Amino acid sequence: MNIVVLVKMVPDTESRLEIVDGKVNESGFKYMVNPYDEFAVEQAVQFKEANGGKVTILSLFSNDGSIDTDLRKMMAIGADEAIVLRQDNYRGDKPSANATVLSNAIKEMEADLIIGGVQGIDYYQSATGPMIAHMLGIPHISGVTNLELNDGKFTAKRQVEGGLQIIECSNPLLVTCQKDMTKVRFPALKDIMMSKRKPFESRTVEPVESNDVETAECSLPPARGGGMIIEGESSEDKVDKLIEKLKTEAKVI
Amino acid sequence: MSVIVVGEVDGNDVKEISQQVAAVASGMGDVIGIVMGKGISDAAMKLSTSKIIIADDEALEYYDPVKFTSIVAQIVNQNNATKVLMGATTMGKDLGPRVAAELGWGYLGDCLEAGNEGFVRPNYAGKVLAKSNTTDSVVLSIRNNAYPAGESWSGSVENFSGEIPDSGLTTTTIENVGAGTIELTEASIVVSGGRGLESPENYDEHIRPLAAAMGAAAGASRAIVDAGWVTHSHQVGQTGKTVTPDLYMAIGISGAIQHLGGMSGSKFIVAINKDSEAPIFKVADYGIVGDLFEIIPLLKSKLEN
Ligand SMILES: Cc1cc2nc3c(=O)[nH]c(=O)nc-3n(C[C@H](O)[C@H](O)[C@H](O)COP(=O)(O)OP(=O)(O)OC[C@H]3O[C@@H](n4cnc5c(N)ncnc54)[C@H](O)[C@@H]3O)c2cc1C
Ligand SMILES: Nc1ncnc2c1ncn2[C@@H]1O[C@H](COP(=O)(O)O)[C@@H](O)[C@H]1O
Repeated sequence: MNIVVLVKMVPDTESRLEIVDGKVNESGFKYMVNPYDEFAVEQAVQFKEANGGKVTILSLFSNDGSIDTDLRKMMAIGADEAIVLRQDNYRGDKPSANATVLSNAIKEMEADLIIGGVQGIDYYQSATGPMIAHMLGIPHISGVTNLELNDGKFTAKRQVEGGLQIIECSNPLLVTCQKDMTKVRFPALKDIMMSKRKPFESRTVEPVESNDVETAECSLPPARGGGMIIEGESSEDKVDKLIEKLKTEAKVI
Repeated sequence: MSVIVVGEVDGNDVKEISQQVAAVASGMGDVIGIVMGKGISDAAMKLSTSKIIIADDEALEYYDPVKFTSIVAQIVNQNNATKVLMGATTMGKDLGPRVAAELGWGYLGDCLEAGNEGFVRPNYAGKVLAKSNTTDSVVLSIRNNAYPAGESWSGSVENFSGEIPDSGLTTTTIENVGAGTIELTEASIVVSGGRGLESPENYDEHIRPLAAAMGAAAGASRAIVDAGWVTHSHQVGQTGKTVTPDLYMAIGISGAIQHLGGMSGSKFIVAINKDSEAPIFKVADYGIVGDLFEIIPLLKSKLEN
Protein backbone atom coordinates (compact mmCIF):
# COMPACT_ATOMS: atom_id res chain seq x y z
CA MET A 1 0.00 0.00 0.00
CA ASN A 2 1.37 3.32 -1.12
CA ILE A 3 0.34 6.16 1.18
CA VAL A 4 0.93 9.85 0.61
CA VAL A 5 0.56 12.07 3.68
CA LEU A 6 -0.14 15.76 3.10
CA VAL A 7 1.63 17.90 5.66
CA LYS A 8 1.07 21.63 5.76
CA MET A 9 3.48 23.85 7.65
CA VAL A 10 1.51 26.52 9.51
CA PRO A 11 2.41 29.44 11.77
CA ASP A 12 2.87 28.37 15.37
CA THR A 13 -0.29 29.09 17.41
CA GLU A 14 1.75 31.36 19.67
CA SER A 15 2.89 33.56 16.77
CA ARG A 16 2.26 37.23 17.31
CA LEU A 17 -0.37 38.58 14.94
CA GLU A 18 0.31 42.14 13.98
CA ILE A 19 -1.33 43.99 11.11
CA VAL A 20 0.71 46.47 9.10
CA ASP A 21 -0.99 48.33 6.24
CA GLY A 22 -3.82 45.82 6.07
CA LYS A 23 -1.49 42.84 5.92
CA VAL A 24 -0.46 40.37 8.57
CA ASN A 25 3.20 40.85 9.39
CA GLU A 26 4.52 37.37 8.80
CA SER A 27 8.19 38.16 9.23
CA GLY A 28 8.44 36.82 12.78
CA PHE A 29 6.46 33.65 12.13
CA LYS A 30 7.79 30.31 13.25
CA TYR A 31 6.25 27.33 11.53
CA MET A 32 5.04 23.99 12.81
CA VAL A 33 3.35 20.92 11.40
CA ASN A 34 -0.39 21.53 11.17
CA PRO A 35 -1.69 19.64 14.25
CA TYR A 36 -4.29 17.62 12.31
CA ASP A 37 -1.65 16.37 9.91
CA GLU A 38 0.20 14.56 12.71
CA PHE A 39 -2.81 12.26 13.00
CA ALA A 40 -2.55 11.60 9.30
CA VAL A 41 1.11 10.62 9.62
CA GLU A 42 0.41 8.31 12.55
CA GLN A 43 -2.55 6.64 10.82
CA ALA A 44 -0.55 6.10 7.64
CA VAL A 45 2.31 4.53 9.59
CA GLN A 46 -0.11 2.21 11.39
CA PHE A 47 -1.51 1.00 8.07
CA LYS A 48 1.99 0.43 6.77
CA GLU A 49 2.97 -1.51 9.86
CA ALA A 50 -0.10 -3.73 9.49
CA ASN A 51 -0.09 -4.20 5.72
CA GLY A 52 3.34 -3.25 4.42
CA GLY A 53 3.94 -0.55 1.83
CA LYS A 54 5.42 2.90 1.84
CA VAL A 55 4.56 6.21 3.51
CA THR A 56 5.65 9.40 1.77
CA ILE A 57 5.26 12.82 3.33
CA LEU A 58 4.43 15.50 0.80
CA SER A 59 4.56 19.18 1.68
CA LEU A 60 4.37 22.32 -0.41
CA PHE A 61 6.16 25.25 1.18
CA SER A 62 8.50 28.13 0.49
CA ASN A 63 12.29 27.93 0.24
CA ASP A 64 12.55 28.48 3.99
CA GLY A 65 14.53 25.50 5.26
CA SER A 66 13.73 26.04 8.95
CA ILE A 67 10.83 23.58 8.68
CA ASP A 68 13.00 20.61 7.81
CA THR A 69 13.60 19.56 11.41
CA ASP A 70 9.88 19.42 12.10
CA LEU A 71 9.29 17.32 9.00
CA ARG A 72 12.06 14.96 10.11
CA LYS A 73 10.11 14.46 13.34
CA MET A 74 7.22 13.18 11.24
CA MET A 75 9.62 10.71 9.68
CA ALA A 76 10.65 9.56 13.14
CA ILE A 77 7.02 8.49 13.65
CA GLY A 78 7.65 6.05 10.82
CA ALA A 79 7.21 7.72 7.43
CA ASP A 80 9.72 6.41 4.88
CA GLU A 81 10.53 9.53 2.93
CA ALA A 82 9.67 13.20 2.56
CA ILE A 83 9.24 15.28 -0.55
CA VAL A 84 9.12 19.04 -0.07
CA LEU A 85 7.92 21.10 -3.00
CA ARG A 86 9.66 24.46 -2.75
CA GLN A 87 7.89 27.38 -4.35
CA ASP A 88 8.83 31.05 -4.47
CA ASN A 89 6.11 33.18 -2.89
CA TYR A 90 4.26 30.13 -1.56
CA ARG A 91 1.13 31.13 0.32
CA GLY A 92 -1.05 28.91 2.49
CA ASP A 93 -4.22 30.75 1.55
CA LYS A 94 -4.38 29.60 -2.07
CA PRO A 95 -6.10 26.24 -1.78
CA SER A 96 -6.79 25.75 -5.46
CA ALA A 97 -3.30 26.71 -6.62
CA ASN A 98 -1.77 24.55 -3.89
CA ALA A 99 -4.10 21.64 -4.65
CA THR A 100 -3.09 21.86 -8.31
CA VAL A 101 0.63 21.66 -7.51
CA LEU A 102 0.13 18.89 -4.94
CA SER A 103 -2.15 16.81 -7.15
CA ASN A 104 0.33 17.07 -10.03
CA ALA A 105 3.01 15.62 -7.78
CA ILE A 106 0.68 12.90 -6.48
CA LYS A 107 -0.24 11.79 -10.02
CA GLU A 108 3.26 10.38 -10.38
CA MET A 109 3.22 8.55 -7.09
CA GLU A 110 0.60 5.82 -7.65
CA ALA A 111 -0.98 6.40 -4.27
CA ASP A 112 -3.59 4.03 -2.88
CA LEU A 113 -4.41 6.36 -0.03
CA ILE A 114 -3.84 10.08 0.34
CA ILE A 115 -4.30 11.35 3.84
CA GLY A 116 -4.12 14.83 5.33
CA GLY A 117 -5.66 17.05 7.97
CA VAL A 118 -9.23 18.30 8.06
CA GLN A 119 -8.08 21.91 8.05
CA GLY A 120 -5.06 24.12 8.26
CA ILE A 121 -5.06 26.14 11.47
CA ASP A 122 -3.72 29.10 9.50
CA TYR A 123 -6.52 29.96 7.10
CA TYR A 124 -9.18 27.49 8.16
CA GLN A 125 -10.27 26.73 4.61
CA SER A 126 -10.61 22.92 4.87
CA ALA A 127 -10.35 23.05 1.13
CA THR A 128 -7.13 21.49 -0.08
CA GLY A 129 -8.06 17.83 0.53
CA PRO A 130 -11.40 17.77 -1.33
CA MET A 131 -9.88 19.84 -4.14
CA ILE A 132 -6.97 17.43 -4.60
CA ALA A 133 -9.38 14.48 -4.63
CA HIS A 134 -11.43 16.17 -7.29
CA MET A 135 -8.38 16.94 -9.40
CA LEU A 136 -7.30 13.31 -9.15
CA GLY A 137 -10.82 12.12 -9.95
CA ILE A 138 -11.10 10.07 -6.77
CA PRO A 139 -13.57 10.15 -3.87
CA HIS A 140 -12.76 11.77 -0.53
CA ILE A 141 -14.01 11.57 3.02
CA SER A 142 -13.34 14.57 5.27
CA GLY A 143 -13.23 15.07 9.03
CA VAL A 144 -12.69 11.39 9.73
CA THR A 145 -12.52 10.35 13.39
CA ASN A 146 -11.81 6.66 12.77
CA LEU A 147 -10.40 4.83 9.77
CA GLU A 148 -10.06 1.08 9.43
CA LEU A 149 -8.69 -1.07 6.69
CA ASN A 150 -9.91 -4.64 6.24
CA ASP A 151 -9.36 -6.80 3.15
CA GLY A 152 -8.48 -3.77 1.06
CA LYS A 153 -11.61 -1.90 2.07
CA PHE A 154 -11.62 1.30 4.13
CA THR A 155 -14.32 2.04 6.67
CA ALA A 156 -14.41 5.63 7.85
CA LYS A 157 -16.38 7.36 10.55
CA ARG A 158 -17.10 10.97 9.90
CA GLN A 159 -18.63 13.36 12.37
CA VAL A 160 -21.80 14.99 11.07
CA GLU A 161 -24.53 16.97 12.81
CA GLY A 162 -26.36 14.47 14.97
CA GLY A 163 -24.10 11.46 14.57
CA LEU A 164 -21.34 9.58 12.84
CA GLN A 165 -21.58 8.82 9.15
CA ILE A 166 -20.11 5.39 8.42
CA ILE A 167 -18.65 5.21 4.93
CA GLU A 168 -17.00 2.35 3.05
CA CYS A 169 -14.69 2.77 0.11
CA SER A 170 -11.91 0.94 -1.66
CA ASN A 171 -8.75 2.65 -2.87
CA PRO A 172 -7.72 5.05 -4.27
CA LEU A 173 -9.22 7.39 -1.72
CA LEU A 174 -8.39 10.71 -0.04
CA VAL A 175 -9.14 11.13 3.66
CA THR A 176 -8.78 14.14 5.94
CA CYS A 177 -8.35 13.54 9.66
CA GLN A 178 -10.22 15.03 12.57
CA LYS A 179 -8.37 15.37 15.83
CA ASP A 180 -9.58 12.35 17.77
CA MET A 181 -8.61 9.95 15.02
CA THR A 182 -5.71 8.16 16.67
CA LYS A 183 -3.06 8.69 19.29
CA VAL A 184 0.21 10.02 17.92
CA ARG A 185 3.17 8.09 19.31
CA PHE A 186 6.30 9.56 20.84
CA PRO A 187 9.12 8.25 18.66
CA ALA A 188 11.85 6.27 20.37
CA LEU A 189 15.38 7.65 20.30
CA LYS A 190 16.46 5.05 17.75
CA ASP A 191 13.63 6.09 15.42
CA ILE A 192 14.72 9.70 15.74
CA MET A 193 18.27 8.70 14.87
CA MET A 194 17.08 6.57 11.95
CA SER A 195 14.91 9.35 10.57
CA LYS A 196 18.05 11.39 9.88
CA ARG A 197 19.10 8.85 7.27
CA LYS A 198 15.77 8.65 5.47
CA PRO A 199 15.41 10.22 2.00
CA PHE A 200 14.46 13.88 2.18
CA GLU A 201 14.01 15.48 -1.21
CA SER A 202 13.46 19.15 -2.00
CA ARG A 203 12.04 19.93 -5.44
CA THR A 204 11.56 23.35 -6.91
CA VAL A 205 8.09 23.93 -8.35
CA GLU A 206 6.79 26.87 -10.36
CA PRO A 207 3.86 28.97 -9.19
CA VAL A 208 0.59 28.22 -11.04
CA GLU A 209 -2.35 30.36 -12.12
CA SER A 210 -5.53 29.88 -10.12
CA ASN A 211 -8.87 31.42 -9.29
CA ASP A 212 -8.12 31.66 -5.60
CA VAL A 213 -9.63 34.77 -4.12
CA GLU A 214 -7.02 37.27 -2.96
CA THR A 215 -7.35 38.91 0.40
CA ALA A 216 -7.64 42.67 -0.01
CA GLU A 217 -7.31 43.64 3.60
CA CYS A 218 -6.74 42.06 6.99
CA SER A 219 -7.87 43.47 10.29
CA LEU A 220 -8.02 42.45 13.90
CA PRO A 221 -11.54 41.63 15.05
CA PRO A 222 -13.15 44.43 17.02
CA ALA A 223 -12.04 44.08 20.63
CA ARG A 224 -14.81 42.69 22.76
CA GLY A 225 -16.24 45.02 25.37
CA GLY A 226 -15.85 42.43 28.09
CA GLY A 227 -14.40 42.87 31.49
CA MET A 228 -17.67 43.30 33.33
CA ILE A 229 -17.56 41.53 36.69
CA ILE A 230 -20.81 41.03 38.52
CA GLU A 231 -20.37 42.07 42.16
CA GLY A 232 -22.61 40.88 44.95
CA GLU A 233 -22.96 40.13 48.62
CA SER A 234 -23.11 36.39 48.15
CA SER A 235 -22.95 33.79 45.40
CA GLU A 236 -26.72 33.73 45.35
CA ASP A 237 -26.84 37.48 44.88
CA LYS A 238 -24.40 37.25 41.95
CA VAL A 239 -26.35 34.46 40.33
CA ASP A 240 -29.60 36.44 40.62
CA LYS A 241 -27.96 39.44 39.00
CA LEU A 242 -26.55 37.29 36.21
CA ILE A 243 -29.93 35.76 35.43
CA GLU A 244 -31.49 39.22 35.45
CA LYS A 245 -28.91 40.49 32.93
CA LEU A 246 -29.27 37.48 30.68
CA LYS A 247 -33.02 38.07 30.62
CA THR A 248 -33.15 41.83 30.22
CA GLU A 249 -29.89 42.93 28.59
CA ALA A 250 -28.73 39.96 26.55
CA LYS A 251 -32.26 38.59 26.10
CA VAL A 252 -30.85 35.13 25.55
CA ILE A 253 -32.93 33.26 28.09
CA MET B 1 -27.48 36.95 -12.72
CA SER B 2 -28.37 33.85 -10.83
CA VAL B 3 -27.05 32.60 -7.56
CA ILE B 4 -27.34 29.03 -6.28
CA VAL B 5 -28.10 28.16 -2.67
CA VAL B 6 -27.49 24.58 -1.59
CA GLY B 7 -30.05 23.89 1.12
CA GLU B 8 -30.13 21.13 3.71
CA VAL B 9 -33.10 19.58 5.43
CA ASP B 10 -33.43 18.24 8.92
CA GLY B 11 -36.50 16.04 9.35
CA ASN B 12 -39.56 17.90 8.06
CA ASP B 13 -37.87 21.26 7.82
CA VAL B 14 -35.19 23.16 6.02
CA LYS B 15 -32.26 23.80 8.35
CA GLU B 16 -32.13 27.23 9.94
CA ILE B 17 -28.64 27.77 8.51
CA SER B 18 -29.96 27.18 4.98
CA GLN B 19 -32.63 29.86 5.48
CA GLN B 20 -29.88 32.20 6.69
CA VAL B 21 -27.88 31.49 3.54
CA ALA B 22 -30.98 32.02 1.38
CA ALA B 23 -31.41 35.43 3.02
CA VAL B 24 -27.78 36.38 2.30
CA ALA B 25 -28.09 35.24 -1.31
CA SER B 26 -31.25 37.23 -1.94
CA GLY B 27 -29.11 40.37 -2.00
CA MET B 28 -26.89 38.95 -4.77
CA GLY B 29 -29.25 38.10 -7.62
CA ASP B 30 -31.99 35.66 -8.63
CA VAL B 31 -31.73 32.82 -6.20
CA ILE B 32 -32.18 29.20 -7.16
CA GLY B 33 -32.23 26.71 -4.32
CA ILE B 34 -31.04 23.13 -4.64
CA VAL B 35 -31.88 20.47 -2.12
CA MET B 36 -30.55 16.94 -2.48
CA GLY B 37 -31.52 13.85 -0.55
CA LYS B 38 -34.00 11.02 -0.31
CA GLY B 39 -37.61 11.63 0.73
CA ILE B 40 -36.88 15.30 1.27
CA SER B 41 -39.26 16.95 -1.20
CA ASP B 42 -41.83 18.25 1.28
CA ALA B 43 -39.23 19.75 3.56
CA ALA B 44 -37.15 21.10 0.67
CA MET B 45 -40.08 23.16 -0.59
CA LYS B 46 -39.80 25.35 2.50
CA LEU B 47 -36.44 26.78 1.41
CA SER B 48 -36.96 30.51 0.98
CA THR B 49 -35.76 30.93 -2.59
CA SER B 50 -37.92 31.94 -5.54
CA LYS B 51 -37.09 28.75 -7.41
CA ILE B 52 -36.24 25.40 -5.91
CA ILE B 53 -34.70 22.43 -7.69
CA ILE B 54 -35.14 19.20 -5.83
CA ALA B 55 -33.00 16.13 -6.41
CA ASP B 56 -34.90 13.47 -4.48
CA ASP B 57 -33.43 10.08 -5.21
CA GLU B 58 -32.64 6.75 -3.61
CA ALA B 59 -28.98 7.33 -4.50
CA LEU B 60 -28.88 10.57 -2.49
CA GLU B 61 -29.99 9.19 0.86
CA TYR B 62 -26.67 10.17 2.43
CA TYR B 63 -24.41 13.08 1.63
CA ASP B 64 -21.80 12.07 -0.96
CA PRO B 65 -19.27 14.64 -2.20
CA VAL B 66 -18.91 13.16 -5.69
CA LYS B 67 -22.65 12.91 -6.41
CA PHE B 68 -23.57 16.21 -4.81
CA THR B 69 -20.75 18.07 -6.58
CA SER B 70 -21.89 16.75 -9.94
CA ILE B 71 -25.51 17.78 -9.37
CA VAL B 72 -24.60 21.29 -8.20
CA ALA B 73 -22.24 21.78 -11.16
CA GLN B 74 -24.90 20.65 -13.65
CA ILE B 75 -27.39 23.15 -12.23
CA VAL B 76 -24.80 25.95 -12.16
CA ASN B 77 -24.02 25.36 -15.83
CA GLN B 78 -27.65 25.14 -16.92
CA ASN B 79 -28.47 28.43 -15.21
CA ASN B 80 -25.25 30.33 -15.90
CA ALA B 81 -24.99 30.97 -12.19
CA THR B 82 -22.09 33.02 -10.89
CA LYS B 83 -22.13 32.13 -7.22
CA VAL B 84 -22.83 29.08 -5.12
CA LEU B 85 -23.63 29.53 -1.43
CA MET B 86 -24.12 27.01 1.31
CA GLY B 87 -23.97 26.80 5.08
CA ALA B 88 -20.60 26.07 6.70
CA THR B 89 -21.97 22.78 8.04
CA THR B 90 -20.12 19.47 7.91
CA MET B 91 -21.68 19.06 4.47
CA GLY B 92 -21.02 22.59 3.24
CA LYS B 93 -17.37 22.62 4.32
CA ASP B 94 -16.83 19.32 2.53
CA LEU B 95 -18.87 20.06 -0.60
CA GLY B 96 -17.90 23.69 -1.19
CA PRO B 97 -14.22 23.14 -2.08
CA ARG B 98 -15.01 20.20 -4.33
CA VAL B 99 -17.63 22.25 -6.21
CA ALA B 100 -15.11 25.08 -6.55
CA ALA B 101 -12.56 22.66 -8.00
CA GLU B 102 -15.11 21.28 -10.47
CA LEU B 103 -16.17 24.74 -11.64
CA GLY B 104 -12.66 26.21 -11.53
CA TRP B 105 -13.88 28.98 -9.22
CA GLY B 106 -12.44 30.47 -6.07
CA TYR B 107 -13.60 29.23 -2.69
CA LEU B 108 -14.17 31.15 0.53
CA GLY B 109 -14.98 28.95 3.50
CA ASP B 110 -16.83 29.82 6.69
CA CYS B 111 -17.62 33.45 5.75
CA LEU B 112 -18.73 35.77 8.50
CA GLU B 113 -19.91 38.36 5.99
CA ALA B 114 -20.86 37.99 2.36
CA GLY B 115 -22.44 40.64 0.21
CA ASN B 116 -21.91 43.50 -2.13
CA GLU B 117 -19.44 45.09 0.27
CA GLY B 118 -17.20 42.06 0.09
CA PHE B 119 -16.50 38.85 1.93
CA VAL B 120 -15.01 38.46 5.37
CA ARG B 121 -13.64 35.20 6.70
CA PRO B 122 -11.61 34.30 9.77
CA ASN B 123 -7.89 33.48 9.65
CA TYR B 124 -5.81 32.12 12.53
CA ALA B 125 -8.86 30.88 14.43
CA GLY B 126 -10.61 34.21 14.14
CA LYS B 127 -7.69 36.19 15.52
CA VAL B 128 -7.51 37.98 12.16
CA LEU B 129 -10.31 38.85 9.74
CA ALA B 130 -9.51 38.68 6.03
CA LYS B 131 -11.61 40.71 3.66
CA SER B 132 -11.80 40.24 -0.09
CA ASN B 133 -13.77 42.10 -2.72
CA THR B 134 -13.88 39.74 -5.63
CA THR B 135 -16.44 40.09 -8.41
CA ASP B 136 -15.44 36.74 -9.93
CA SER B 137 -17.51 33.61 -9.65
CA VAL B 138 -17.04 32.03 -6.25
CA VAL B 139 -18.26 29.26 -4.02
CA LEU B 140 -18.97 30.40 -0.47
CA SER B 141 -19.84 28.67 2.75
CA ILE B 142 -21.44 30.88 5.38
CA ARG B 143 -21.02 30.48 9.10
CA ASN B 144 -24.05 29.67 11.21
CA ASN B 145 -25.65 32.63 12.97
CA ALA B 146 -23.75 35.21 10.91
CA TYR B 147 -27.07 36.35 9.41
CA PRO B 148 -30.74 36.20 10.38
CA ALA B 149 -32.79 33.56 8.59
CA GLY B 150 -35.19 34.36 5.78
CA GLU B 151 -38.89 33.66 6.31
CA SER B 152 -39.89 30.17 5.32
CA TRP B 153 -41.86 30.28 2.09
CA SER B 154 -41.92 28.19 -1.01
CA GLY B 155 -41.03 29.22 -4.51
CA SER B 156 -41.65 27.37 -7.75
CA VAL B 157 -40.45 23.80 -7.63
CA GLU B 158 -38.70 21.73 -10.25
CA ASN B 159 -37.26 18.24 -10.12
CA PHE B 160 -33.65 17.64 -11.01
CA SER B 161 -33.50 15.59 -14.18
CA GLY B 162 -29.75 15.27 -14.80
CA GLU B 163 -27.32 12.48 -14.18
CA ILE B 164 -26.21 11.21 -10.79
CA PRO B 165 -22.75 9.61 -11.11
CA ASP B 166 -21.43 6.69 -9.12
CA SER B 167 -18.88 7.66 -6.49
CA GLY B 168 -17.27 4.56 -5.02
CA LEU B 169 -18.37 5.71 -1.57
CA THR B 170 -21.01 3.72 0.27
CA THR B 171 -22.54 5.12 3.41
CA THR B 172 -23.83 2.21 5.44
CA THR B 173 -25.49 4.21 8.17
CA ILE B 174 -25.47 7.28 10.38
CA GLU B 175 -24.66 6.13 13.89
CA ASN B 176 -26.66 8.13 16.33
CA VAL B 177 -24.18 9.02 19.01
CA GLY B 178 -25.27 11.52 21.59
CA ALA B 179 -28.86 11.36 20.35
CA GLY B 180 -31.01 14.00 21.95
CA THR B 181 -28.10 16.32 22.59
CA ILE B 182 -27.80 19.57 20.73
CA GLU B 183 -25.10 20.11 18.13
CA LEU B 184 -22.39 22.51 19.32
CA THR B 185 -22.10 24.47 16.10
CA GLU B 186 -25.86 24.89 15.74
CA ALA B 187 -26.76 25.66 19.33
CA SER B 188 -27.95 29.10 20.37
CA ILE B 189 -26.53 28.53 23.84
CA VAL B 190 -23.29 26.68 24.63
CA VAL B 191 -22.25 25.74 28.17
CA SER B 192 -18.58 24.73 28.32
CA GLY B 193 -16.50 23.35 31.13
CA GLY B 194 -12.76 23.23 31.72
CA ARG B 195 -10.14 21.90 34.06
CA GLY B 196 -11.66 23.85 36.93
CA LEU B 197 -14.22 21.05 37.16
CA GLU B 198 -11.52 18.76 38.52
CA SER B 199 -13.01 15.47 37.30
CA PRO B 200 -15.09 13.90 34.54
CA GLU B 201 -17.78 13.06 37.10
CA ASN B 202 -18.10 16.75 37.89
CA TYR B 203 -18.52 17.52 34.19
CA ASP B 204 -21.43 15.08 34.09
CA GLU B 205 -22.86 16.39 37.32
CA HIS B 206 -22.56 20.12 36.64
CA ILE B 207 -22.10 20.95 32.96
CA ARG B 208 -24.46 18.49 31.27
CA PRO B 209 -27.46 19.17 33.57
CA LEU B 210 -26.95 22.95 33.34
CA ALA B 211 -26.81 22.63 29.55
CA ALA B 212 -29.95 20.52 29.58
CA ALA B 213 -31.73 23.05 31.81
CA MET B 214 -30.84 25.85 29.37
CA GLY B 215 -31.54 23.94 26.16
CA ALA B 216 -27.84 24.33 25.41
CA ALA B 217 -25.09 22.23 23.86
CA ALA B 218 -22.26 21.11 26.15
CA GLY B 219 -18.72 22.11 25.18
CA ALA B 220 -15.24 21.73 26.63
CA SER B 221 -11.73 23.13 26.69
CA ARG B 222 -8.94 21.10 25.17
CA ALA B 223 -7.44 20.41 28.58
CA ILE B 224 -10.33 18.14 29.53
CA VAL B 225 -10.59 16.59 26.07
CA ASP B 226 -6.92 15.65 26.25
CA ALA B 227 -7.49 14.29 29.75
CA GLY B 228 -10.16 12.02 28.27
CA TRP B 229 -13.09 13.40 30.25
CA VAL B 230 -15.15 14.10 27.12
CA THR B 231 -14.69 13.34 23.42
CA HIS B 232 -13.10 15.71 20.96
CA SER B 233 -16.50 16.45 19.44
CA HIS B 234 -17.03 18.69 22.51
CA GLN B 235 -13.85 20.73 22.06
CA VAL B 236 -14.17 24.44 21.38
CA GLY B 237 -11.16 26.34 20.09
CA GLN B 238 -8.45 26.57 17.52
CA THR B 239 -8.13 22.81 17.14
CA GLY B 240 -11.76 22.14 17.99
CA LYS B 241 -15.03 23.67 16.88
CA THR B 242 -15.74 27.31 16.24
CA VAL B 243 -19.00 28.31 17.83
CA THR B 244 -20.97 31.53 17.50
CA PRO B 245 -23.99 31.11 19.76
CA ASP B 246 -26.08 33.89 21.26
CA LEU B 247 -24.74 32.90 24.67
CA TYR B 248 -21.47 31.16 25.55
CA MET B 249 -20.81 30.14 29.16
CA ALA B 250 -17.20 29.36 30.08
CA ILE B 251 -17.09 27.55 33.40
CA GLY B 252 -13.74 26.77 35.02
CA ILE B 253 -11.98 27.70 31.78
CA SER B 254 -8.98 30.04 31.93
CA GLY B 255 -9.42 31.51 28.45
CA ALA B 256 -6.21 30.52 26.65
CA ILE B 257 -5.78 32.20 23.28
CA GLN B 258 -6.50 28.90 21.50
CA HIS B 259 -9.80 28.56 23.36
CA LEU B 260 -10.81 32.17 22.66
CA GLY B 261 -10.25 31.51 18.95
CA GLY B 262 -13.21 29.16 18.95
CA MET B 263 -15.74 31.20 20.88
CA SER B 264 -14.95 34.90 20.83
CA GLY B 265 -17.46 35.44 18.02
CA SER B 266 -20.32 34.58 20.40
CA LYS B 267 -22.89 37.33 20.94
CA PHE B 268 -22.70 37.20 24.74
CA ILE B 269 -20.08 35.53 26.89
CA VAL B 270 -20.41 34.60 30.54
CA ALA B 271 -17.35 33.51 32.52
CA ILE B 272 -17.39 31.78 35.87
CA ASN B 273 -13.94 31.37 37.39
CA LYS B 274 -12.46 31.61 40.85
CA ASP B 275 -9.39 33.48 39.62
CA SER B 276 -10.23 37.14 39.02
CA GLU B 277 -7.10 37.42 36.82
CA ALA B 278 -8.18 34.67 34.40
CA PRO B 279 -7.92 35.96 30.82
CA ILE B 280 -11.44 34.72 30.04
CA PHE B 281 -12.79 37.73 31.95
CA LYS B 282 -11.28 40.08 29.35
CA VAL B 283 -13.74 38.83 26.75
CA ALA B 284 -16.69 38.13 29.03
CA ASP B 285 -19.73 40.39 28.95
CA TYR B 286 -20.66 39.10 32.39
CA GLY B 287 -18.17 37.55 34.77
CA ILE B 288 -18.65 35.96 38.14
CA VAL B 289 -15.55 35.52 40.27
CA GLY B 290 -16.28 32.56 42.48
CA ASP B 291 -16.27 28.85 43.07
CA LEU B 292 -18.08 27.04 40.30
CA PHE B 293 -19.14 24.27 42.69
CA GLU B 294 -21.15 26.85 44.58
CA ILE B 295 -22.35 28.94 41.61
CA ILE B 296 -23.46 26.26 39.14
CA PRO B 297 -25.93 24.41 41.40
CA LEU B 298 -27.50 27.76 42.32
CA LEU B 299 -27.71 28.84 38.71
CA LYS B 300 -29.19 25.54 37.62
CA SER B 301 -31.87 25.42 40.28
CA LYS B 302 -32.89 29.03 39.64
CA LEU B 303 -33.06 28.51 35.88
CA GLU B 304 -35.16 25.41 36.32
CA ASN B 305 -37.75 27.36 38.29
C1 LIG C 1 -1.53 23.93 19.12
C2 LIG C 1 -2.48 24.12 20.27
C3 LIG C 1 -3.85 24.06 20.02
C4 LIG C 1 -4.77 24.23 21.08
N1 LIG C 1 -6.12 24.17 20.80
C5 LIG C 1 -7.00 24.37 21.80
C6 LIG C 1 -8.42 24.35 21.55
O1 LIG C 1 -8.88 24.10 20.41
N2 LIG C 1 -9.25 24.56 22.58
C7 LIG C 1 -8.83 24.81 23.85
O2 LIG C 1 -9.66 24.99 24.74
N3 LIG C 1 -7.50 24.82 24.11
C8 LIG C 1 -6.59 24.59 23.13
N4 LIG C 1 -5.26 24.56 23.44
C9 LIG C 1 -4.87 24.52 24.88
C10 LIG C 1 -4.87 25.85 25.59
O3 LIG C 1 -3.61 26.45 25.38
C11 LIG C 1 -5.12 25.65 27.10
O4 LIG C 1 -4.15 24.77 27.61
C12 LIG C 1 -6.50 25.08 27.46
O5 LIG C 1 -7.52 25.81 26.80
C13 LIG C 1 -6.71 25.17 28.96
O6 LIG C 1 -7.91 24.55 29.33
P1 LIG C 1 -8.67 25.02 30.66
O7 LIG C 1 -9.03 26.45 30.56
O8 LIG C 1 -9.79 24.05 30.88
O9 LIG C 1 -7.60 24.72 31.80
P2 LIG C 1 -6.74 25.72 32.71
O10 LIG C 1 -5.98 26.67 31.88
O11 LIG C 1 -6.03 24.86 33.66
O12 LIG C 1 -7.84 26.57 33.47
C14 LIG C 1 -8.67 26.09 34.49
C15 LIG C 1 -9.38 27.30 35.07
O13 LIG C 1 -10.34 26.86 36.02
C16 LIG C 1 -10.34 27.78 37.10
N5 LIG C 1 -10.86 27.06 38.29
C17 LIG C 1 -10.25 26.08 38.99
N6 LIG C 1 -11.05 25.65 39.99
C18 LIG C 1 -12.18 26.40 39.93
C19 LIG C 1 -13.37 26.44 40.72
N7 LIG C 1 -13.58 25.61 41.74
N8 LIG C 1 -14.32 27.35 40.39
C20 LIG C 1 -14.12 28.19 39.34
N9 LIG C 1 -13.01 28.20 38.57
C21 LIG C 1 -12.06 27.30 38.87
C22 LIG C 1 -8.92 28.24 37.24
O14 LIG C 1 -8.86 29.50 37.87
C23 LIG C 1 -8.46 28.27 35.78
O15 LIG C 1 -8.64 29.56 35.23
C24 LIG C 1 -4.32 24.44 22.41
C25 LIG C 1 -2.94 24.52 22.65
C26 LIG C 1 -2.03 24.37 21.61
C27 LIG C 1 -0.55 24.49 21.93
N1 LIG D 1 0.96 23.38 1.26
C1 LIG D 1 0.52 22.18 1.62
N2 LIG D 1 1.35 21.09 1.60
C2 LIG D 1 0.90 19.86 1.97
N3 LIG D 1 -0.36 19.64 2.39
C3 LIG D 1 -1.22 20.66 2.44
C4 LIG D 1 -0.84 21.98 2.06
N4 LIG D 1 -1.90 22.78 2.20
C5 LIG D 1 -2.91 22.02 2.69
N5 LIG D 1 -2.50 20.74 2.84
C6 LIG D 1 -3.30 19.59 3.34
O1 LIG D 1 -4.67 19.96 3.34
C7 LIG D 1 -5.19 20.02 4.68
C8 LIG D 1 -6.19 21.13 4.79
O2 LIG D 1 -5.59 22.38 4.57
P1 LIG D 1 -6.41 23.70 4.23
O3 LIG D 1 -7.20 23.44 3.00
O4 LIG D 1 -5.35 24.73 4.02
O5 LIG D 1 -7.29 24.00 5.41
C9 LIG D 1 -3.96 20.14 5.56
O6 LIG D 1 -4.22 19.63 6.85
C10 LIG D 1 -2.93 19.31 4.80
O7 LIG D 1 -3.10 17.93 5.05
